Amino acid sequence: MLLRLPAPAVANNDGEQLGLATPLFQDVELAPCAFRKAESTSTLLVSGSAVQSVVGSLQFNSAEVLFETAAGVVVDGVLYTILSNTATTADGKTYVYSLELRVPVR
Amino acid sequence: MQNAKDTFYEVLRSRIAAANPERTIVLRGVTRPGVLVEENELVSTVTTPDCFRLRWVDANVDAENAMPVATLTCEVFYETAGTAGNAGMDRGRLLATMDAEIVGALSSAPQTAIKQNYAALATGGSATAMSTNIWWCDVVLGPLVVKADRIARAAKVTVMSCEEEGEL
Repeated sequence: MLLRLPAPAVANNDGEQLGLATPLFQDVELAPCAFRKAESTSTLLVSGSAVQSVVGSLQFNSAEVLFETAAGVVVDGVLYTILSNTATTADGKTYVYSLELRVPVR
Repeated sequence: MQNAKDTFYEVLRSRIAAANPERTIVLRGVTRPGVLVEENELVSTVTTPDCFRLRWVDANVDAENAMPVATLTCEVFYETAGTAGNAGMDRGRLLATMDAEIVGALSSAPQTAIKQNYAALATGGSATAMSTNIWWCDVVLGPLVVKADRIARAAKVTVMSCEEEGEL
């Protein structure tokens, strides 16, 4: 499973804001994780420590910002859109993130 | 029609930024004026509050005239949850501020601008002024919509432009 992240925008770049330039993308591995495929929306459970590692290395403010910034999750070469993310915590520590993914329209 | 859409966005963005320089958003790590065109951004399920989101809906071209006239409808969506420090109890006031900003930006004279062609930006060039203008009607504010802890509104404005040779 790969989390696809767009490169930071270029400041004061009208081309990007007008849709004339597209950002570069970076794929970051999410592991360990479990993927449950369903008809309309799928679910991806990702280890809390794996997400925190990505948040730290890419200097995001939080996991929520990370998932909101991401273009989606690549599963077997198919890009799924992240609809929502939920953190499950115990003793004040997040041990798993649940991502609700939308199956791409074909 | 694309040049008219691009020009309208640039005009609205600069007017909003001039009226309220603090109306900003952080998008992909960069702070910019709080105006965006949905179709020009990455697909996202997250709705950014406290900014103006432009969505182009209807488009018509009247080809009867010597120079075809394009009529485009732009919906401007905006919403706010208020400020956390005030427990969101100022969301009505903040939405009223946004109402005033969008009405001020679009209803103040001139309601016209020289149409620009931004295509050269894709190859590192700069925008070029075209021969005709775009112009727009007064903005019409839609009803207030309650969305969980946010209140939202959609404003609608009609933008017109003469289509020059090579634009259609």
